[in-house]
Amino acid sequence: MSDLLAARTQMGTSLAFHIIFAALGVGLPLLMCIAEGLALRRKDVVWMALTRRWARAAAILFAIGAVSGTILSFELGLLWPTWIKFAGAVVGPAFAFEGFAFFLEAIFLGLYLYGWDRLSPRAHWFCSFPIWISGLASAWFIVSANSWMNTPAGFVISHGQVTNIDPLQAMLNPSTPYETIHMILACYVATGFGVAAVYAVSMLRGKRDEYLPSDGLSEARTQSVGRRYKDEYRRKGLLLALAMGAIAIPLQIVSGDANARFLADYQPAKLAAMEGLFHTQTGAPLQIGGLADPQTGKVYYALEIPDGLSILAKFDPNATIKGLDAFAPQDRPNPLPVHTSFDGMVASGFFALFVGWLFWLIYFLRKRRVSENRWLLWGIALSGPLSFLAIELGWMVTELGRQPWVIYGYLRTKDAVTTAPWLNISFLVFAFIYVVLAITMTVLLLRLARSPLPKMEWDELASGQSQSQGEKAGI
Amino acid sequence: MILAYITLTVLWLSLITYAALGGADFGAGVWDLLSFGYSVERKRELINRALGPVWEANHVWLIFLIVGLFTGFPSVFAIVSIVLFVPFSLVLIGIVLRGAAFIFRTHGLGRNNPITMIWSRVFSFASVITPFFLGASAAAVTSGHIRAPGGNVSTDVTGATWLSPFAITIGLMAVSLCAVLAAVYLSVEALHTKDEQLVGAFRLRAIIAGALTAVFGALGLLLAPSEAPILWNGMLAHALPVVIVTMLVGLATAAALFTRHFHIARVLVVVETAGLLGSWGISQLPYLIPPDVTVQNSANSPNVLQFMLIGTAIGMALLLPSLYYLFSVFKLPYPAPGVEKKEDIA
Repeated sequence: MSDLLAARTQMGTSLAFHIIFAALGVGLPLLMCIAEGLALRRKDVVWMALTRRWARAAAILFAIGAVSGTILSFELGLLWPTWIKFAGAVVGPAFAFEGFAFFLEAIFLGLYLYGWDRLSPRAHWFCSFPIWISGLASAWFIVSANSWMNTPAGFVISHGQVTNIDPLQAMLNPSTPYETIHMILACYVATGFGVAAVYAVSMLRGKRDEYLPSDGLSEARTQSVGRRYKDEYRRKGLLLALAMGAIAIPLQIVSGDANARFLADYQPAKLAAMEGLFHTQTGAPLQIGGLADPQTGKVYYALEIPDGLSILAKFDPNATIKGLDAFAPQDRPNPLPVHTSFDGMVASGFFALFVGWLFWLIYFLRKRRVSENRWLLWGIALSGPLSFLAIELGWMVTELGRQPWVIYGYLRTKDAVTTAPWLNISFLVFAFIYVVLAITMTVLLLRLARSPLPKMEWDELASGQSQSQGEKAGI
Repeated sequence: MILAYITLTVLWLSLITYAALGGADFGAGVWDLLSFGYSVERKRELINRALGPVWEANHVWLIFLIVGLFTGFPSVFAIVSIVLFVPFSLVLIGIVLRGAAFIFRTHGLGRNNPITMIWSRVFSFASVITPFFLGASAAAVTSGHIRAPGGNVSTDVTGATWLSPFAITIGLMAVSLCAVLAAVYLSVEALHTKDEQLVGAFRLRAIIAGALTAVFGALGLLLAPSEAPILWNGMLAHALPVVIVTMLVGLATAAALFTRHFHIARVLVVVETAGLLGSWGISQLPYLIPPDVTVQNSANSPNVLQFMLIGTAIGMALLLPSLYYLFSVFKLPYPAPGVEKKEDIA
């Protein structure tokens, strides 16, 4: 691998790994906050048990998110020193503010995860608010920095020097409202469908024998109470998660549409690559699927809707849309991965929309009963991983679609890479670390998912007793 | 210009906080590595309980330092990232493995599972290499051997700057300082859980590690005139009082430990850390990477610094009370709103 390719691969791997935890870090705290609020309000053991189970998963997920985020902050300099000199000078404050948001998140997470038996139930619940609010804020700040890379603003280049820096204008660059909203919604979509998928799988597998016997109940009675409890637990987990996902997904599709229209004006090369549009044309078709081959300048196997792109981008079937040929060859992104990623993202999003809304339709038609239809459960189970895939693909579109620039129109990626040696080795070492982390984490989460639910007495659940009992039992 | 110095002061205070809090978390890993004998399980238990709620928040100081550095002094971060690519990568690997390994071992598969044991080892080894290479990198920066004429630098692949005798000394000093911090904090924690045996064990460890830190510090001072002349001259010129006070505080910390005044020792060891890092910073001024990069020629433009400082002030106004709350719930004996049970904190 060339040094540039090695650095890009390492950065891409790090981002692809981290984004999963970042998305959960935004979405999961909101789920916990709502579930715990419901538990306290209704004195409901099931909501409390859900909250606690999510919190235990969060302890693992967020720690991995914190360390993988640290990797990224170092890599900004280790791999791209020229970029960080430029970006740090102009949009550095966005990173610094993100640092504060992350700080607050980590502090209240510590209180939340380890404070069950120290804080009063109400104080504990209050601690969940700063977590999701700062998760939201950190997503906004960090994505505003990425937006700046796409539509740089707030500075002037004179005699090769960056001058007249306006950091606020840099953070509030033209892309910021579009990109930040799209990413924040993506976090809620992915977390919602992701968590729902866990319970859909659990319902499909139909495991019902994981209940810790309660004192004073016979074995058989314990089993039947436990079974009902477990069903209730899965049902509530599924409902809350799917509510979040199903509310966020239509908003996300509207936001995505706005993004594409924004790109038509601000980053036409990216839009052309996304849509596999090689030639500038009036009445540009919408090409769904297919392979956009940059060698031949053709899109193979695509479903073509005449004038579709012109209508979507400009509300006018005769509108002219810039194709890749409007840009010098050295300024074009590669449409093959960008177009494919884009279509993959859109397809995943629509699949989630379909499944999520179908579920709620059936739910309300059948007088608030959770459907146990296997096809629907399979659909939900699939929509979880697909929603995370959509995030990955969306970032592919953003990042690969901006190439060959790292700061659009100002700094090329190849000019930003470090001169340090051994980038191949560095990539291999970090890739190895990610693989090891992913495997270990998966093992631990699966083990957590399989561990028995805590006892169901309200007093104990609310005060943290059974948590520590569970820990003593080695759960 | 004044804004650049304010920014630098904020960053340096963050560095001190990171050392005093995050450093202790690494130090706990050092003691984890050196735990043996009959009380191993209890020591690990104490370490797990001490780190659990706070290590992630402590770790964020480092992230804040990095982003603050590249916002306040963009070229400094770019230069050290290139020159110290190798030790920084090792630090990074250490940080990742330390954090992940800690969570894997505490949320893992039960105490005697082989996977838990492996991650436990990874946790303690990563806790040693990370402060070592951080210290060595700091020494490389202060040594004056990183030349950046016109901002052009190349990676030091041979370790000429970051594996010099001076760098190794400072790296070891960083590890032992972390160990002192951890031992002092852990003896207070053990005091709270009324485990007299562990109190004694960590007290002894604190004294031994403190003596080692002093030895490495003295060695560093001996090497400094030849290995880091700019730092040495700067110290003689304007940091001597701070250095002397730091040494006295070091002695006072030892005295507090001898006389079993653990809470006082905890305060003193933080002051000691602040003194060590503070005297480094003051000695090195006005250089950031001597001799070519100064505060003046690397600072970001004043309006960006102003913007960041305003944001930092707002951020700190939210952060510091939250942080105090975190520590008062888990570490401090004073009452705090919303806290129900606190009997294990004396």
